[in-house]
Amino acid sequence: MSGMELPLVVFTVLGQAAVGIVLLSAVRQWAGHPGSEGNLRAEWIVAGALLFLAFVASLFHLGHPTGAFRTLVHLRTSWLSREVLLFGIFGILILAVLWGVLRGAFSGVLTALAALAGVLALWVSAMAYAPPAFPALHNGLPIVFFLLTAVLVGSSGAVYFAPPEKEALLVRILGSALVVGLVLYLVVPWVWLSGGTVMRMTGEAYYASALYWIRLAVGFVLPILVLALSRRIPLWLPVVVLAGEVMGRILFFSHVVHSAVNLGTPY
Amino acid sequence: MKKQLGFFIDARRCIGCFTCAMACKNQYNQEPGVVWRTLYPLGEAVYPHRERAFYSLACNHCRRPTCLEVCPVNAYSKREKDGVVVHHQDKCIGCGNCIRSCPYGAPRYNPVLKKAEKCSLCWERLDAGLKPACVLSCPVEALQLLDVEAFTRVDAVQYPPGFPAFPKLDPSVRFVAPRQPIVFLREDL
Repeated sequence: MSGMELPLVVFTVLGQAAVGIVLLSAVRQWAGHPGSEGNLRAEWIVAGALLFLAFVASLFHLGHPTGAFRTLVHLRTSWLSREVLLFGIFGILILAVLWGVLRGAFSGVLTALAALAGVLALWVSAMAYAPPAFPALHNGLPIVFFLLTAVLVGSSGAVYFAPPEKEALLVRILGSALVVGLVLYLVVPWVWLSGGTVMRMTGEAYYASALYWIRLAVGFVLPILVLALSRRIPLWLPVVVLAGEVMGRILFFSHVVHSAVNLGTPY
Repeated sequence: MKKQLGFFIDARRCIGCFTCAMACKNQYNQEPGVVWRTLYPLGEAVYPHRERAFYSLACNHCRRPTCLEVCPVNAYSKREKDGVVVHHQDKCIGCGNCIRSCPYGAPRYNPVLKKAEKCSLCWERLDAGLKPACVLSCPVEALQLLDVEAFTRVDAVQYPPGFPAFPKLDPSVRFVAPRQPIVFLREDL
């Protein structure tokens, strides 16, 4: 297990939250009347602000933040370079959509492009966090985790911006994502237990962690109960969902075992 | 194939004296806690005997190094003439991506410089016609410099038990696994 990597936790969760908000906004515009589905101005300002905070947080991860601009020089093979580029394009598209919204000229094409760039950014970001050193993550799991965060935070956070008649749609999306997420978080460590030594150590670390069980209770079980009982998304629920995702990401960075910790013993 | 330098680790000879690790420390004066080479004792699951056995490991100077691929600022290069993977600290911004990505844990974080660093295979010494400090220091010749292409020992393997196999990276190391002790069993007990 390694450190909590809090700057990376904040960067990834907030970046994915921005993607989720943009994605859900795009879906609502597509499913309703483009440009008139809720408080677009506030929604896109929040998405942009979250992405900005994510970028700021990522700087704290660097030993030399002033060199951050040079991360674009190795696009040929580095997924991290591509991640910075894609999130940069995503940010520019958010600004472009926001510029249109502020001027009363909503662009469906730019919104779709922003959503597409956001999803691509998630994929590229997931590749950056799936190195061979972490056998438990050297597969498709990071993109599943990242997409889950985007949908959970996006669909719950959309309640602040969407018109009231869209709440039922958001409840269905959020409820489905929560159930999928709960099953995923229960099953994945179980699958890890059937892997090699290092992968099994990751599964054992998850099950032995109080944070894992708190994450399940706070991030999944509680929101599912609230949705099932009230059929609504209370205004405090997105905060709880976000807290659950932060805990999940701390687990992701601190409890997944690096292969080098087991050199000299079976891999 | 091009020349590819690396390390030959003879675990039959290694006595676990840490001289190679100390020689590396003396050569480069790393900060406390930063080690480019160290000894990994083999666990009971790999070597279940009262005697101990060790692998002396540092950077493996892989043919396809993950550190080089993942670095966002091009702080790694691979020398054409001998395949040594060099970390250029002046370019490093301390993102730690190489540290996270190398499955052998070769790049380490220097908390004083706030940058990554790793074994350079003493390329300055190589260019001067000298052996790497760790190789030179080994009192039992358990650690040797090798050219993977010219290496012909038939009893050597690339992935012995206790050393994870990552064929995509193709680490430039070869091992002779430790000798199994001779066990005498009394049949009358």
